[in-house]
Amino acid sequence: MVAEMQGLVNSERGLVSRRIFIEPDIYQQELERIFARCWLFLCHQSQIPNPGDYFTTYMGEDPVLVMRDSGGSVNAFLNVCRHRGNRLCRAESGNAATITCAYHGWTFGNTGKLVAVPNLQDAYFGELDLDQWNLIPVAQLDDYKGMIFATFDPDAPPLREYLGEMAWYLDSFFDRREGGVEVVGGVHKWVVPCNWKLPAENFGGDAYHVSWSHLSAIRAGFAGDFRLRNTGGSLVSPGQGHCVITLGGGDIAEAPEPELVAYEQDTRPEVVARLGPRAEQVSPIVGTVFPNLSIIRSTSHSFRVWHPKGPGEIEIWAWIFVDKAAPPQVKEALRVNGLRGFGPSGTFEQDDMDNWQECTHTSRGVVSRRYDLNMQMGLGHEEYRPDLGGLASDYRLSESNHRQFYRRWADLMAAEQWQDLPA
Amino acid sequence: MQVTPDLLREIEQFLYREARLLDNRQFHRWAELLAEDLRYWMPMRSNRYPANSKAIASLDEAHQETHDLTEAHELAVMDETRESLIRRIERLDSGFAWAEDPPSRTRHFISNVELEPTENPAEIRAYSNFILYRTRGEREEDFYVGSREDILRRTGETWQITYRKIVLDQSVLSAKNVSNFF
Ligand code: FES
Ligand SMILES: [Fe+2]
Repeated sequence: MVAEMQGLVNSERGLVSRRIFIEPDIYQQELERIFARCWLFLCHQSQIPNPGDYFTTYMGEDPVLVMRDSGGSVNAFLNVCRHRGNRLCRAESGNAATITCAYHGWTFGNTGKLVAVPNLQDAYFGELDLDQWNLIPVAQLDDYKGMIFATFDPDAPPLREYLGEMAWYLDSFFDRREGGVEVVGGVHKWVVPCNWKLPAENFGGDAYHVSWSHLSAIRAGFAGDFRLRNTGGSLVSPGQGHCVITLGGGDIAEAPEPELVAYEQDTRPEVVARLGPRAEQVSPIVGTVFPNLSIIRSTSHSFRVWHPKGPGEIEIWAWIFVDKAAPPQVKEALRVNGLRGFGPSGTFEQDDMDNWQECTHTSRGVVSRRYDLNMQMGLGHEEYRPDLGGLASDYRLSESNHRQFYRRWADLMAAEQWQDLPA
Repeated sequence: MQVTPDLLREIEQFLYREARLLDNRQFHRWAELLAEDLRYWMPMRSNRYPANSKAIASLDEAHQETHDLTEAHELAVMDETRESLIRRIERLDSGFAWAEDPPSRTRHFISNVELEPTENPAEIRAYSNFILYRTRGEREEDFYVGSREDILRRTGETWQITYRKIVLDQSVLSAKNVSNFF
């Protein structure tokens, strides 16, 4: 069944139906039309630097195994044994020449090839064609500035095209200095009872909630007091559902650690030279790569995937990243401040979970569900800005990015194929 | 410091009293038990194949990653000092700490207390297990289960915590957040 998307999202009027946060049919269609088609983030290159290194993750609800083969190239497969569908690799990361399924012992190489099957001669009479039973690969895999993405859809546009104007904004997070970024070891993983779109839209454009939702952390000194600043800054939609929150050029929202504030100032000329004149106009601090990768570079430097686990649940997988070229004391300050701000115990992040949970749970009420959500802030006060490469709000607070995020969502949900999608 | 039945009893009582302060939300009194040089650290668990696993044939032994706990320079659920814990308490005092507003109701259960001497005669190492039960709102329930390794320092009549390593048993935390103290 294909749910009728008409009327669920009205981006012209800034209205979104609450049905899309709760209804199982709509969720199933999201798995098909969004998660099985879009480019999804898998992991960072610095997590799997050596031949044989692997990392296990999900694309939508499909378990995926990302592996660097013995020759050094990265591949990704369904982490599912071809025999009876057992989960093949049960570790979160490691190094492998081969992995053997725990059920009957089929063995796969780090290129995804089925290399050994017990009782092949006696029980299968040597008649099983191993080549037909390799791991199922993703349709396309590519890397942008160390971030590895894949899609299950052979018809999806290439990654660079999928990112479009978002690429520059990714540069502003991941390619500020020579060498780009690396991740701190370990991934925060935790369960939140909310729909995946709530955190995705929040990181994509909710500058509004910061000075209220996070006031306790700001008051307790976990951030500079950016509540009181009234700089420029804008919500930017670089297209295709991607969203970025920016401050005015030169503004930062770092944790108030002297070494971090100094590091931002000291590296600024180099960063501007590298990123170009747009970096004088805007400082991107938070954003969402459609659909479910979000990045923050303010009081914490983190990127995270909102893995969908049913309409009302997600797993957050969050990393902390640092400029590779940063000195050790800056990396350490970013590690410590990163996890104190964002992550399960984050003094900012812990207050978000509650709100997303309740926004999801109240959608259960059939009467509550009749009333659309309001995403009207700044409606009509946004314009296409060629210098910023996207639709930008006229004021630093707006729900213009929300409207673009949900417009893209509705377009993808309605489109049978990539060619049917509006630009 | 020598481990005696009296000392064990004294440390157990100290840990129970600490738990009561936390459950009663007397966080500033709890903070008085924290030493100036405290490291309060909750690393993360993960699923790894052990070195003897036959599920995997490593290409390069050196990168097999068999440790299931993040290390000091890696991510942690919490990595705190006395000063940062006090800032967390001040956050709760602000009237804007939505994750704890209305507050959690918690119950700490501390067991399996074992003592071990350290090189420092003023300090003792205490291992314990814990269950932290949290309920909040109408029917939210979380169980945080794990172990602690403390180093406690004798200060006059009482003790201060100078090191606490908290190891949760879960890899993917089933709680939506960690807004309580352990
Ligand atoms: S399910 Fe994997 S070997 Fe049978
Ligand atoms: Fe937030």
